[in-house]
Amino acid sequence: MTSSLSSSRTRRALLAGCLMFVALSVSGCSSRADIQPQFFWDSLFHPSPALVNGIGLTLIISVIAQILGVILGVFAAMAKMAKFAPFRIASNLYIWFFRGTPLLVQLMFFVYGLPTVGLFRWPTIAFGPILIPAEILAGTIILGVNEGAYMAEIVRAGILSVDPGQTEASKSLGMKYGQTMRRIVLPQAARVIVPPLGNEFNNMLKTTSLLTVVSVFELYNTTSVAAGHNFRYFELFGAAAVWYLLMTTIWGFIQGWIERRLAKGTVLTSAGPTGPGWRGRFFGGQAESLGGH
Amino acid sequence: MTVPVQISSNLLGAIGGVPRPDVDVVVDARDVNKYFGRLHVLKDVCIQVKRQETVVIIGPSGSGKTTFIRCINHLEKIQGGRIFVNGHLIGYRETPAVGRIGRLIAKVPVVGRPFRKPVGATKLVEDKEKNVALQRQEIGMVFQRFNLFPHMTALDNIIEAPIHVRGMDRDEAMVMGRALLERVGLAAKEKVYPNQLSGGQQQRIAIARALAMKPALMLFDEPTSALDPEMIGEVLEVMKELAREGMTMIVVSHEMGFAREAANRVVMMDDGVVVEEGSPAQVFGSPTQDRTKAFLSKIL
Repeated sequence: MTSSLSSSRTRRALLAGCLMFVALSVSGCSSRADIQPQFFWDSLFHPSPALVNGIGLTLIISVIAQILGVILGVFAAMAKMAKFAPFRIASNLYIWFFRGTPLLVQLMFFVYGLPTVGLFRWPTIAFGPILIPAEILAGTIILGVNEGAYMAEIVRAGILSVDPGQTEASKSLGMKYGQTMRRIVLPQAARVIVPPLGNEFNNMLKTTSLLTVVSVFELYNTTSVAAGHNFRYFELFGAAAVWYLLMTTIWGFIQGWIERRLAKGTVLTSAGPTGPGWRGRFFGGQAESLGGH
Repeated sequence: MTVPVQISSNLLGAIGGVPRPDVDVVVDARDVNKYFGRLHVLKDVCIQVKRQETVVIIGPSGSGKTTFIRCINHLEKIQGGRIFVNGHLIGYRETPAVGRIGRLIAKVPVVGRPFRKPVGATKLVEDKEKNVALQRQEIGMVFQRFNLFPHMTALDNIIEAPIHVRGMDRDEAMVMGRALLERVGLAAKEKVYPNQLSGGQQQRIAIARALAMKPALMLFDEPTSALDPEMIGEVLEVMKELAREGMTMIVVSHEMGFAREAANRVVMMDDGVVVEEGSPAQVFGSPTQDRTKAFLSKIL
């Protein structure tokens, strides 16, 4: 698949959503429906500063929360497989709590619940010249911690998928546990981890919309507020859907690239276990994350 | 008790490649006992291997020979006995049978009586992972299933441990790695990933990888069992060469030709017991034990 071909196909696929909207608008014009397409187009091509800000926030929060989730997931997975029982217990408790309660409840509990009883107040952090408001900090951390619980199981499955002979070989060369994990086991587990990780990040991009409840003005909240002002819910949320689609689609390509890179040394032919191409993603009916949120 | 301290300091000396001509016995296994659950797989196994000696262990499957050599680099725990390599107790630490608190309690009249043990009584405690890792650097191992790292090229497989365990300079390690590849006849394959190599080639890379740590002892766990017949020869050639050069080797194998040609000693194991040992000519030519005779008649 050449890059020019793929990008032209991308554009076509992305435009499919817009075309559907146009079709609806046109059919709406003939009836009594009141659709004003310029709100849709403006949101896409001339987004307000608030909307740009919201899209940026959604992206940044997703990326940071996912990175946090992966790091926590790796440690939780290793703790869950540790010989030392307290590590196992702590890891199990963590996974049990964060997978067993709704993210919304976690957000309300930790962001509003803790400060209202005076247990803990989320600080506003100055990151150089940029101020990170408390609710964004709190929201990102809780998303990340929640994600870590799901990643833990994914990482554990990845580690278990690596042949025990690999651990034995690295031990016999004098490597310690940490070195064995970092240099030998995790790089091989990564191949198994990345496809479900892709699903997780795809979910994460969309789950950030829940941060609305702690008044983070990301893409969903910004759209919601704007629509509340002008009652253009149809046009504005149609545009928001396209923005989400754009982000998840781009991620799909990045994921494919990562999978191909990790496949080195494991496949002899180009058509190996590199995950579905974009056609597989669109038409192959790839299953949504089994974990879900 | 100064024993644990002594062990680690001696070991550090040995790791620097300091020759220890005073220690003539490389492997000294004494009364090794090993259980898998209730299954008694090694029963009072005693084997000594001298410097530069090649010992081949034969025996039917399930006889404990693979388990035994895995105990030598502590991939398996043992429940009884001791294994010394270059004079260092492998995998365990000898500690006073009664701990510091126990010794205090022992001073209390009446209550302390159960804590009173003979002076100098010791028990074995599994050593720290760090120390076991240090000991393993001295012991190379070649596995039946090669266990090369599939995400690394042949050369990267070889230089991985020298760089990240021994702390060797990368360029220096590459020079050494290429020399080793040449030695096993695979100089052209340095950038190739293991999956693109034949079984025989993979096993030769695995031998080179183990040799890169400059071990004092090499363990081979059925190195040719997973190979196609036409690839066995090339691996055995490398091993014979190694034996000629004076490497101390313990080989679990059914390759009688190799044993005849390269082994100084053959050990026959059956049902977790050393049944018979002697020179290849003795064991193969005129075995004294019925179990050896029965086993040899099946495989020869």
